[in-house]
Amino acid sequence: MLRKLALALTLAAAPAVAEEVTVETYAGPVAVETAPETIAVFDIAALDTLDALGVKPTGLVRPYYLPFLEDAAEGTEPVGSLFEPDFEAVNALQPDLIIAGGRSQEQVPNLAKLAPTLDMTIWEDTIGQGLARLEAYGKIFGKEDEAAELHAEFEAKLEAAKAAVGGKGNALIVLTNGPKISAYGAAGRFGWLHTALELPEAVEAVEQTTHGEAISFEFIREVDPDILLVIDRLSATGQEGDSAATTLDNALIRDTKAWKSGQVVFLSAAPVYISGGGIQSLNIVMDEIQAAFPGN
Amino acid sequence: MFSKLLSVAGLVALAILSLFVGVIDLTPGDLLTNPDALPLMIQSRAPRLFAVLITGSALAICGTIMQMLVRNRFVEPMTAGTGQGAALGILLVTMFAPGAAILVKMAVSAACALVTSLGFLAIVRRLPPTEPLFVPLVGLAYGGIIGAVVTFFAYQADLLQYIDVWMSGEFSGVLQGRYELLWLAALVALISYFAADQFSIVGMGQTVSVNLGLNYRQVMLLGLVAIAIVTALTVVTVGMIPFVGLVVPNIVSRIWGDDLRATLPVTAWMGATLVLVSDVIGRVLRFPFEIPVGTVFGVVGTVMFLWLLYRPARDAG
Repeated sequence: MLRKLALALTLAAAPAVAEEVTVETYAGPVAVETAPETIAVFDIAALDTLDALGVKPTGLVRPYYLPFLEDAAEGTEPVGSLFEPDFEAVNALQPDLIIAGGRSQEQVPNLAKLAPTLDMTIWEDTIGQGLARLEAYGKIFGKEDEAAELHAEFEAKLEAAKAAVGGKGNALIVLTNGPKISAYGAAGRFGWLHTALELPEAVEAVEQTTHGEAISFEFIREVDPDILLVIDRLSATGQEGDSAATTLDNALIRDTKAWKSGQVVFLSAAPVYISGGGIQSLNIVMDEIQAAFPGN
Repeated sequence: MFSKLLSVAGLVALAILSLFVGVIDLTPGDLLTNPDALPLMIQSRAPRLFAVLITGSALAICGTIMQMLVRNRFVEPMTAGTGQGAALGILLVTMFAPGAAILVKMAVSAACALVTSLGFLAIVRRLPPTEPLFVPLVGLAYGGIIGAVVTFFAYQADLLQYIDVWMSGEFSGVLQGRYELLWLAALVALISYFAADQFSIVGMGQTVSVNLGLNYRQVMLLGLVAIAIVTALTVVTVGMIPFVGLVVPNIVSRIWGDDLRATLPVTAWMGATLVLVSDVIGRVLRFPFEIPVGTVFGVVGTVMFLWLLYRPARDAG
């Protein structure tokens, strides 16, 4: 009885303690109560950034694809998949806050019926929005200092990567999916790599499509980029099979400037493809790009 | 005779033209002057041409044989479960043995294609012979169900976009060293030509076949194995290209009749030509990007099919 009373008192007192802050989300500024205790996370980039801030979610989607987030995911309650929330599980969890976005963006209205839900999608401006999310999480969880520190750390990595690719020529971003390839432009899904790194496009006609433009190997040979940034879609979801290196290792590609000068960069796919914009993922990408161009 | 020569010459001309269509600018003159031209031809253009020709002719022949086996004009391997079976095979290999060699992939794929084809045959035999439209409808439903199974497993394993590579076939990935398995398909198609008379008889039904002294079951199985192997080989190397096996045999049958020994070469020629035309269109329409050959063929094939249905009737020969 006493315990129940104590619980009731705590619950009654909670709203009085909680503060509200206004944070930037994909849907615009939203007022959120600070320091939510039970959180359900439906976006891997969000999990990535929360992990960097030392915030552990209570509920989390499965699978979460990124091996380095294993610790962050340990002990969390499964609440469905990226595209399909398990509403029963979410309801049972009674979260104070739901963080969704990206692949789960369409479910935001449904999730919002169960608990306050933030649409933390990162899409058009991977770095800008990624850093905005970092700042927002910092505010919500009272970790502004940590967020600022992470922000500064990333800026340094970005500068280093920018310096590494500076003057190395133009680049083409390709995504391999088994034996097939497609190209992405500066306006496309991975275009932020061009803009953030100030990396000139090897070809400018690539339109903005989610899964790129189907191209032949001859296309790459003809464009003949100085740098080839490769994202292996299959490995992004943890599958093996024809790896990007096998797909690209052929007579036509071996003839390009990028291959000859060793400037073919195989980016770890999951940080780009699954959790793009998460602060740790952004750091991983920057580190990989910097490492690919030694001598800086 | 003259028109035969003309059609062959037309395909040859088209084939040569296709060799000079690609992202890298290449003219016949370059072959003599530019040292890079010949390697490009050998590494990229010729393999793609061969892959297109083999796929087109082999799929058309498979369609004809399947139509004879089930005695119905409106089925083809890619809609009646064989293609989906092949895709299922690839999916299973990808899920359980991702590092498997291409030959293993192909074998598993062909085995699955054979099993699903046998399943289709078993269903078709129980259908009333008086309702010929049941066969394609059941085929579509059957193929749809197997396709749904493929999609379900792919979804569960996060392989949806990966399996898509095989569900919508195209030739952009074809290079020297990456399509040679298709020559096996060409070989199987060629062998089936020598069994053409038997398939023609099977097309007349079991009673007639048995009365003519044909080993009905054996020929049936031979046909199905040939279809499964060719389908699996094309699906593994370039993906599913629907309608080729449906449109081409129907056009050929309407114009030239059902004597397979006489018409199979025509079928092969027309399948090769139509797929090549589609591939060339797919390469130039959004140059330098590509449109999958299946998409283009859907349009080209439909137009040809409609023309065939509605063209003014000539005197029935």
